[in-house]
Amino acid sequence: MTDPALIRNFSIIAHIDHGKSTLADRVLELTHTIDEREMVEQVLDSMDIERERGITIKAQAVRVMYDGDDGRTYQLNLIDTPGHVDFTYEVSRSLAACEGVLLVVDAAQGVEAQTVANALMAMNADLEIIPVINKIDLPAADPERVRHEIEEALAIPADDAVLTSGKTGQGVRDALEAVVKRVPPPKGDPDAPLKALIFDSYFDTYRGVVALVRIVDGRVRKGDLVRMMATDTVTDVQEVGVRRPANTPVDELGVGEVGYLITGLKDPALVKVGDTVTAAKHGAAEPLPGYRDVKPMVYTGLYPIDGDQYPDLRDALDKLKLNDPALVYEPETSHALGFGFRVGFLGLLHMEVVKERLEREFGLDLLATAPSVEYHAYLTNGQMLEVHSPQDMPDPSRLDRIEEPYLKATILVPPDYVGPVMELADSRRATFKDMQYLSATTVEMHYEIPLSELIMDFFDQLKSRTKGYASLDYEFIGYRRSDLVKLDVLLAGKPVDALSFIVHKDKAYPRAKALTEKLKDIIPRQMFEVPIQAAIGGRIISRETVKAKRKDVLAKCYGGDITRKRKLLEKQKEGKKRMKNLGTVEVPQEAFMAILKVDEG
Amino acid sequence: MPHPSPDVEWGAGDASREPAGGAMPAHVYFHVPFCASKCSYCDFFSVEAGRAREQAARAYEALFEQWAGWVSRLGLRLATTAYVGGGTPTALGAARVAAFVATVRAEMCEAHDPEVTVEANPESLDEQTVAMLADAGATRVSLGVQAFHDDLLAVLGRPHDATRALNAARTVVSHGLELSVDLICGIPGQTLDMWRSSVHYAIETGARHVSVYPLSLESGTPLAAEVMLGRYRALDEDLVADMMLLARNLLEDAGLRRYEVANYAEPGRECRHNLAYWTGREYLGIGPSAHGMLRAETAREAGFVVPEGAARVRYAVAADLTQGFGEWPAMTVETLDAEQAAREDVMLGLRLAEGVALELVERAGLGVVVEGLVARGLLERTADRVRTTDRGWLLGNEVFGAVWTG
Repeated sequence: MTDPALIRNFSIIAHIDHGKSTLADRVLELTHTIDEREMVEQVLDSMDIERERGITIKAQAVRVMYDGDDGRTYQLNLIDTPGHVDFTYEVSRSLAACEGVLLVVDAAQGVEAQTVANALMAMNADLEIIPVINKIDLPAADPERVRHEIEEALAIPADDAVLTSGKTGQGVRDALEAVVKRVPPPKGDPDAPLKALIFDSYFDTYRGVVALVRIVDGRVRKGDLVRMMATDTVTDVQEVGVRRPANTPVDELGVGEVGYLITGLKDPALVKVGDTVTAAKHGAAEPLPGYRDVKPMVYTGLYPIDGDQYPDLRDALDKLKLNDPALVYEPETSHALGFGFRVGFLGLLHMEVVKERLEREFGLDLLATAPSVEYHAYLTNGQMLEVHSPQDMPDPSRLDRIEEPYLKATILVPPDYVGPVMELADSRRATFKDMQYLSATTVEMHYEIPLSELIMDFFDQLKSRTKGYASLDYEFIGYRRSDLVKLDVLLAGKPVDALSFIVHKDKAYPRAKALTEKLKDIIPRQMFEVPIQAAIGGRIISRETVKAKRKDVLAKCYGGDITRKRKLLEKQKEGKKRMKNLGTVEVPQEAFMAILKVDEG
Repeated sequence: MPHPSPDVEWGAGDASREPAGGAMPAHVYFHVPFCASKCSYCDFFSVEAGRAREQAARAYEALFEQWAGWVSRLGLRLATTAYVGGGTPTALGAARVAAFVATVRAEMCEAHDPEVTVEANPESLDEQTVAMLADAGATRVSLGVQAFHDDLLAVLGRPHDATRALNAARTVVSHGLELSVDLICGIPGQTLDMWRSSVHYAIETGARHVSVYPLSLESGTPLAAEVMLGRYRALDEDLVADMMLLARNLLEDAGLRRYEVANYAEPGRECRHNLAYWTGREYLGIGPSAHGMLRAETAREAGFVVPEGAARVRYAVAADLTQGFGEWPAMTVETLDAEQAAREDVMLGLRLAEGVALELVERAGLGVVVEGLVARGLLERTADRVRTTDRGWLLGNEVFGAVWTG
């Protein structure tokens, strides 16, 4: 057990692409935790998708030993957190395991929405915040301006901000010195009953669920009988260790230390992020504060293009869930698409990542329906239904009212783009709350907006209307009553349930018109004319027609190049295979996402 | 000049009707990969001649060598058609093309009334060139006109104008050569009226063979890029269909019958070389990016290593000036078994207006597929043949796709 005076627990937080993972790489190098020959980029981002997209999805903890300028060797526990708003709760639990953070800000980009959101979370957790201005090697770097922004926008003194370059390694030692000098050592009672915070978990095929923990009080050893307080689950600890970054067993973990517990449990649902581990006998009376049961925000239907892959999809979801307890799913049947699953996600990024992993790691070919949110449908008999899919929305005659989830959205944007943001917000049923000028270059705007509007391509629109300058953060604020209707889409006269969506009554007409127009562009001409109709409760409110195909022939003669002609025909057939056959109509996959891309202008 | 009756000379996919002598291809294609300049829609292999003078000179030698190589391997005494295409063969220079044509013609089977086509573009086809080609033994000139409208020629990036095209066409006819005119419909900016006048001018030249190609925007070409950038608008496909129907009507009124998806001719003046492609005949391809088709036994005789069970060999010469020339150039080879070859014959035969024999359909095991296409109104049956309807003609890919991919 290490003297807590020599322990520092810290996290690196940053807006996406500000260089968090590269900086973490340099820390591992400088402390000889990983030697250069083993170094891969972004060591802590172990999934391919994390590396490719430059995002962190899973939290990680690594212990490094650092020889400080004062001649003492410190145990630094670096807790790498997800950097996306989808994972806000997970981030908050990771931060709760720390005493301080390195707040990394790109020396060229400056403060952005997630910088603010992350800094606020760190402040709320009472953490010591050390500003780090990173990427100072860039030609466009302007550390003085960024220093100023940090002070103005975040009210954090930045005089002694550390200047670093994750690329060249410059300033990384300064950053670690700042951690040693400014982040307080952990406090805790070694003689009190065990209290350990679970800030993440993962599933090991051979050893079951492994919990990443921070010891707050007491100590834990191999063989201890422990209890997860929220799920009231008792198990004996099979191994205790620390990550360097490979799992390294230790005898015990004491106050302030960060490490892992091999729980021996087979069900990941029993080991929840934010839960407290205590002794099974004479344990702590109260758990650590802050635990919350995470609920999905966004739902989508996932269907195998090839119906035979349905069992494979089920297996794949079961496997992914082992390492991603936030993933929820239930079987769903669509007349149009057959057997699939309604899957719930923490947010849009989480959804994209899961779909990509299912396709890539499990070789599935999936069709996703447009994302939806969880509506609360109150029936006339007083009963409340949680509706995750438009096709499950009860008939209007049975409905008393519908409530939908609302968010508080924070948008940071240069003053020149305030107008376009207002325009976009107005078109998305957002209510303006307030705005404040954080600095000469940054305005912070607050809106309340239905989640269903935010998942409709809002972020892309925001980016394109502000030339990429705006950044967005949001948090859930509750359910509110809205005047919503279900819009159905008919192809060649037949309703296609997978294309139905819920929309505000005032927006039904423009959105129906925009959607039918968009579908007309997406659905290729077929051998027969295909009418596309949008309807509310059987009443047609918009109609377009895909004309019958009249001409499709390769006429050119390539000097007897028949192989090329045949290849084109084979490609044509492949293209058809990727389309979904709805009755006689061949529909490309993107049609099911069309509602996200409509712009009713 | 008398022309053999098509019924005797070519039959759909029936290799047993090859001229006596059997295993020797009667059809030869030469690819001359040089052009004055690259047209904006073209994705064929060609090199700007001005930038490659030396290569052009070597290429001319190399074509001779490859030709001689095939002659020595197979003894091509029976070649009946030759097609010198490209590219723009005349970009090699009139004297070279003429000398080349003369050499090829000398090896051909005079008893079969050789057909020797040279592709040409108006900008490089002057009076003297035409005269030299005629003297050397060329019988046909396929003239790449594309449109008799200067604005549209500019869109296509053609290095000539309509006047020049008209003059070149008349020159060909005046020297007693068969003239074929290529036209393109569906050019951005083209109206139905512009198209009508282009077809009229083509008929007016005295051409008894016309090819009509709907423009296809090939990715990677400047024109496709400009359409993507919105500088030009691709024509609505209904309009292009109307253009194809209009051309068919106008040309048939002028006595030119549609005999293939894109080709029209006075009966008896069909291009026998092109027909070879659609009727399962063997042909040689010589020069970079040229394509050839041989029966397995011919290919073996020519030195190809052909796997057991293969019935047909298709090869493509490398589209590369250094690898595609030489006596035994780099090539990619593909083999088809007997069943695939039969399917291919049906697919290609259905490009012809007269279609294919039902007997061939049965042999290819395509009875059910063809039945379905008849039911969908894309094919129609005559006594012992099946052919495309008007709808099936314009929706050829549906037909060919169903036949090839099942």
